[in-house]
Amino acid sequence: MFRGVDTGRVGKSAWATAAVTVAVLCLASSALAEPSLEYAVKAAYLYKLAAFVDWPPSSFEGPSSPLHICIIGDDPFKTTLDQAVAGVSIAGRPVQVARHDAAQPNMGCQIAYVAGSPAQSRADALRVLKGEAVLTVTDQGRDPGAEQGIVSFVLKDNRVRFEIDQREAIDDHLALSGKLLSLALEVRR
Amino acid sequence: MTLVRPARFFDFIPFQRGWEPIRVAAIASAILLVAAGLSLTGYSAQIERSERAEQAQAQARILAASVSGELAFDDVRGARDYLNALLANPAVEGAAVYDSSGRLFAQGARPGQTVPARGLSRRNLFEGSHLIIVTPVTQAGVAMGSVYLRTAIEPAGRRLARYAGVALLAAFAALVIFVLAAAHGALSRANHALEDRAEDLAAANLALTREMEERAKAEEALRQGQKMEALGKLTGGVAHDFNNLLMVASGGLELLDRTENPERRRKLKDGIREAVDRGARLTRQLLAFSRRSPLHAEVVDLGTRLDGIRVLLDRSLREDISVRIVRPTGLWPVEIDPGEFDVALLNIAVNARDAMPKGGEIKISARNMPAVDKDDLVGDFVELSITDQGEGMAPDVAAQVFEPFFTTKAVGQGTGLGLSQVYGFVRASGGQASVESRLGEGTTLTLLFPRAARAAPRAPATAPRAAAPLPEGKDRRILLVDDDDSVASAVEAMLEELGYQVVRAADAGEALTTLDQDQGFDIVLSDMVMPGEMGGIDLAREIARRHQGLPVVLSTGYSDAAAIAVRERVRLLTKPYRLDSLAAELDAAVAEGELKRSATA
Repeated sequence: MFRGVDTGRVGKSAWATAAVTVAVLCLASSALAEPSLEYAVKAAYLYKLAAFVDWPPSSFEGPSSPLHICIIGDDPFKTTLDQAVAGVSIAGRPVQVARHDAAQPNMGCQIAYVAGSPAQSRADALRVLKGEAVLTVTDQGRDPGAEQGIVSFVLKDNRVRFEIDQREAIDDHLALSGKLLSLALEVRR
Repeated sequence: MTLVRPARFFDFIPFQRGWEPIRVAAIASAILLVAAGLSLTGYSAQIERSERAEQAQAQARILAASVSGELAFDDVRGARDYLNALLANPAVEGAAVYDSSGRLFAQGARPGQTVPARGLSRRNLFEGSHLIIVTPVTQAGVAMGSVYLRTAIEPAGRRLARYAGVALLAAFAALVIFVLAAAHGALSRANHALEDRAEDLAAANLALTREMEERAKAEEALRQGQKMEALGKLTGGVAHDFNNLLMVASGGLELLDRTENPERRRKLKDGIREAVDRGARLTRQLLAFSRRSPLHAEVVDLGTRLDGIRVLLDRSLREDISVRIVRPTGLWPVEIDPGEFDVALLNIAVNARDAMPKGGEIKISARNMPAVDKDDLVGDFVELSITDQGEGMAPDVAAQVFEPFFTTKAVGQGTGLGLSQVYGFVRASGGQASVESRLGEGTTLTLLFPRAARAAPRAPATAPRAAAPLPEGKDRRILLVDDDDSVASAVEAMLEELGYQVVRAADAGEALTTLDQDQGFDIVLSDMVMPGEMGGIDLAREIARRHQGLPVVLSTGYSDAAAIAVRERVRLLTKPYRLDSLAAELDAAVAEGELKRSATA
């Protein structure tokens, strides 16, 4: 049922979406010079988000067990993420990066960047993770209009910004910092 | 010129002793005040500093916590908003946010202020009155960057104001000290000036004292000279008068021996008596002037008295001088010595006569003066004014007329005692004498006598002396005590004339011996002043002790002795006395003695 709605929407605005995407990408590429720079920023944001989010204690095995950032689907970050989190620990937890082709229940991720892949669409992956205490992050630029998880990156004024779906965060038992909410371009409640 | 002796001066002025500690205390307290103010300011500045530092640190921490999101997600605008909000605090001079790599992320600074281009390591640093705080920005243990904050410990304006307050306080304290010092200085100067002045004053006083002493000496010498001069004048005048009287008396006595004509003898005797009376008057005048003669005050009617004296005046004055007496009826009685009054009036009339060499009128008028209140005169008075038409006197002469020995007459013509007798008599009677005169317009002498409380007794018609019936001695035995043989024999003759049997004693001792041996005396008449240990007063006392009831009459020409006799309540006859008064006094004494004896019996 969701899929039908989704495909229908895509079908209706396929041209428009394509045009916007092209425009955004052109804009982003011109502003940030290279897509790799954009993702370097996003990689930094990705782990920095963790500093503004509280997970339920049951999400971790122990007080100092690592915080996992999972990339689900195609990895746009390449090595930038690994470079970014090298040596970083958040609230005393070392940050580890894991890559998965598809989302599965109880993967042990605290942050999941859901890019989607031929094997599992982004919407499916998000649906799998729904209800789990996982901060889902998507790249709106890659698939505007689709399911976008809790945090979705957008490009605005040549800068990487984000929108937040707080309702979903609450559903997922995640507490987002007010600072984070204040920095969001848009907060869906 | 002047030695400064503060210590002595401080001892001299009582409040000076208290001033020194007060001054020291005042200055000390002023200094303490300043010190306290300064230390309080310093302490509060210290507290303020640390409070400021804490506040700045808190602000830096708040900034760090606030911008963590912005820093994390590159929201420069949001970070700048925070910085701008921070700059609303006037103490904040500059603030900046640096990312984790030390790059300047966002900055806000006041005009003219800059922030470091690179992030600094964490620190709190005072730079003068500025405080620089660098605080790391962390979020969940992740170092996001750092914030930089520079604040003024205290805004310049407020610091200035605070310093101005302290300065004002110090200025006031200094002013207090200055004023105290100035006051002290002024006081010291004033004290020195005062001391100088006191010394000058003492010197002046010394000089003045010396001058006064010299002046007193000079005055004494002058007075002595004046006394000698006055004595010379008096002696001349009195001697002249007495010589005239003696001339009349001795000449009269000599002629008395040479004539048997009763009419002529009577005239001669009258002349002698007149001369003797004048002599007595003269001495009485002298005594009245010296105010040593006791006044025999009686209540008299001035009008009657004036009528009586008119005859005397007519005889004393020249033919070209007329006397007019103006006297209203109903004159109040006055209490005066009638004899002295006669003398005074005669003196005035003689002066008036001498002032009118070409003749004229002497007007004597009397009137009542009710409710006088002038100088020391209060009450009802009778005024007697004597006005002549003579030459008058210059004011400086008029001012001296009452002074003893003052006379304008040639030596030998006047004693200068006439008007001074008038003055002495009027004052002794409780009244006042004044003179009013103008050159060429005559002179008016005004006498005021106090009104007597009693009415005057109806005066018995004054009978001629020779016709007065003498009281008889009735063969009484009298002891006469007198050291002067001539006086004693004269008095003895008078007493025998009165029918007394006289026994004489030469002094008080002899008198007492005689009285002890012979109890048959009726009365004792004694002189008051006698040689020997005992005088008349002592004798009278002794007789009163030994022979109670034996009457004693004393006689004297010496006024001081008379006063003592009056005090001792002893009967007194003042010399010279006449036969009739001698008889009356003795009679009265005997009568009183009999009365006492019968009372004690």
